[in-house]
Amino acid sequence: MKRKNNKFNKRPQNPLNKLSLFQKSDSRFSKKCPLSGKDAPIIDYKNIKLLKRYISDTDKIMPSRITSVSQSKQRKLTSEIKKAKILGLI
Amino acid sequence: MNLYEHTLIAKQDISTAELEKIEKKYNDIITKTDGKIVKVEKWGLLNFAKKIKTYNKGFYIHYKFEAKNKTLEEIKRNSIIDNSLLRHLTVKYKKLDTETEYFKGINEKKK
Repeated sequence: MKRKNNKFNKRPQNPLNKLSLFQKSDSRFSKKCPLSGKDAPIIDYKNIKLLKRYISDTDKIMPSRITSVSQSKQRKLTSEIKKAKILGLI
Repeated sequence: MNLYEHTLIAKQDISTAELEKIEKKYNDIITKTDGKIVKVEKWGLLNFAKKIKTYNKGFYIHYKFEAKNKTLEEIKRNSIIDNSLLRHLTVKYKKLDTETEYFKGINEKKK
């Protein structure tokens, strides 16, 4: 197992070193959820500034794999966005 | 007794005297059926994101109150019948935060 891990680490770390566009980048990045943790913003249907960040140009809700929102917060986001849409705010 | 928030959208072509009548009407409904009003916010004239029944703008009134199930039925029944209202929404909360006002001073900035 140790050898395999060594191989993985030896790969080029600069993402611009790729041979083609479709090659997957080796540098994996882990992003924390922006809506959880201490002093996180309140998810509410009145807080339009925050909700607009998680909506596409055609008023669709962005998937969590792009925005890296945690699962429980994503569920809350969708319900609050739908409430705001009923009132015509978004 | 539970905590609720209720928002109304009134039509754009209503006069200011009629707006105050609407505000008083729902104030009375809450207080008559053993409810307590915590706060009333007027968000003023706001633009819609999409057209609602050929209207581009609307007056928003926001209530925060403590009430039983009986008052909610009364509010829903009245706001469906009301011709001067476009839409309404009630949300149940465990805690009401009365401090943050998201729509304060939106209309003043434009002027």
